Amino acid sequence: MSLQADVSATFTADGAESFHVDAAFEVERGESLVILGPSGSGKTLLLETVAGFHPHDGPVTLDGRRVSDKPPEKRDFGFVFQDYALFPHMTVRKNVDFGSRYHDDTRDPEGLLAELGVGDLVDRYPPTLSGGEQQRVALARALAIRPEVMLLDEPLAALDVPTRQSLRDDLADVLADVTAVYVTHNRTTARALADRIAVMNDGGIVQVGTPEEIFQRPESPMVARFTGSNVIDLGDAPSIRSALDISADGVVTIRPEAVAFGDDGDVRATVDRVVREDATSRVTFSVDDVTVEAFAERAPAVGDEVWLTLPEDDVHACRAPASTAP
Amino acid sequence: MATSTETRFSLDGFGRVSLAVAFVAIQVLAFAGAYTIGRPTWYAFFMIGSSAVTAYAVHGDSFVVAAATMGSILMVALGLPLFLFVARQQPSIIAEKALNPDVHRMLYLGVYGPLLAAIVSLIFGVPLAHLFAEGFAGQQLVESLVDLPLVVPHSVAGIIILFGFGKGGAFPNVTVLGSMIGMILAMTFVSAPYAVNATREAFEAIDDRLEYASRIHGANRWDTFRRVTAPLAVRGMVTGGVLAWARAVSEFGAVAVVAYSVSFFYPPAGGEVTAQHAPVFVYGTYLQGGLAESGAVAFILLGVSAVIFLIVRYLTSDSTTTGGVV
Repeated sequence: MSLQADVSATFTADGAESFHVDAAFEVERGESLVILGPSGSGKTLLLETVAGFHPHDGPVTLDGRRVSDKPPEKRDFGFVFQDYALFPHMTVRKNVDFGSRYHDDTRDPEGLLAELGVGDLVDRYPPTLSGGEQQRVALARALAIRPEVMLLDEPLAALDVPTRQSLRDDLADVLADVTAVYVTHNRTTARALADRIAVMNDGGIVQVGTPEEIFQRPESPMVARFTGSNVIDLGDAPSIRSALDISADGVVTIRPEAVAFGDDGDVRATVDRVVREDATSRVTFSVDDVTVEAFAERAPAVGDEVWLTLPEDDVHACRAPASTAP
Repeated sequence: MATSTETRFSLDGFGRVSLAVAFVAIQVLAFAGAYTIGRPTWYAFFMIGSSAVTAYAVHGDSFVVAAATMGSILMVALGLPLFLFVARQQPSIIAEKALNPDVHRMLYLGVYGPLLAAIVSLIFGVPLAHLFAEGFAGQQLVESLVDLPLVVPHSVAGIIILFGFGKGGAFPNVTVLGSMIGMILAMTFVSAPYAVNATREAFEAIDDRLEYASRIHGANRWDTFRRVTAPLAVRGMVTGGVLAWARAVSEFGAVAVVAYSVSFFYPPAGGEVTAQHAPVFVYGTYLQGGLAESGAVAFILLGVSAVIFLIVRYLTSDSTTTGGVV
């Protein structure tokens, strides 16, 4: 089942400026599309709009069948919420079985819960469960009705890191067989789960592509920064411009993992900051008036003078000026 | 509001209960002693002083001591008249009134009439409260109208009802003056805001996403209200109903104007009887029989109301409504 959406909606809150969502995307049968964007970019509102929770203009179609004129209960979506949204007055079994009276072909709640590793929780109430357990129950509730498309709104965001990693692995298995739209601000999650990624900013989608395209060839400084690439304004970095042999000013991007440093290379740089991460260190260098990040297993000391190597094949020009970055 | 739970010494649940029981026991003994020697005012000073000392002993914090002292002054103003009212009753008059059929009819009407008013308030107030919680254009105007009885003198409310629904009013074929319908109307007029506002708060406390989850998994709006919203708001509805009932029990002004005495079906008599609403009856007894007789009737009314209130509180407590899981 494929999903096409081209929706626009305006949201107003008391005392705040109205926020406009205007986005179009398409998901092929069996594909996982991840909508990736910073907080406040409108990802959740877009997903909720597609689900039918908010009035909107523009069509939402499933295999060409228009569902945007139908209420949420007629759209054939499953939805997993960031904060689980389990019914607190119902047992886990009743939560998962909630949709059975509205759908002809539903999955057995106990079997589904067992598959997701929470089969022993059927008689418990949601407030007595951990966050990870609640999210597995929420996932089971959505899967139980065999939806045409799964919509997932940052289901891992409220979980601690070990639980998040464990559930992300399980989600990868679950999403392998279903058509899904997955919203997140976490680029690691996006990269792990996406067949394609749509980057969202300020209510609109700014780039769509495979994870490789989004992470390696961002089309704008905003996408580059948000996906963790170095964004270099050549006007502020003449030594990089001459090393890359580019005559005009402009903005280029390069992944930090592509940047090498050592005793020789293309560009002279100073170590500004070293941040220890899980297995590596993230090192920030200053070059002219810009900074460049790289990863290193053996971190240099702050203040060290090193040479950077920026492989030309990994350097990409951006379309938009750097000033459009968030 | 931030709360401080730090105390000078650790108190577990048993310790807190013991402290509360000991405090109440000492207060009762102190009041009994002061009353016996004919110096009830001394008890007022004792209560204020003992509250301050207890607060200092438990918290050792000048802010808490000040708050407890100021609060205890209000408690004296509210509690001392109540203590004296109970202490000064004459059992023989209470027993005589408790066996009086007029008092039985008054008690029946005093519970039954407000119950009908509370039910009417909920039947029409719950949908309105739900609309308030969702929000709609012109809501502030409607809210003002709902809250109007809170600021209108209740004798004025009675006059308004007579103009609106009495002779020459909106429903010429309905007799309001001196009828059960008039009494229920008067009670509903003054008590409906309590039902609407308490229920509205309960609806507003429900996360929108629970209703979204219900809709997306197949339930239409009616089923969502029946299976999710209403069960989660039921405590607020009952609270609103109890508040409306209690307000109607205590209503004097509007009922005295609209329905000073009414005829109604009285099961023990197997037919129609005439009686007055409890506050009107107490006032009439005071005018005809003096303070002692009206005090005995008021004491019985107070006892019946307190028992009903405690039963409803028990039935709507966390442990009895949800098994303690919500």
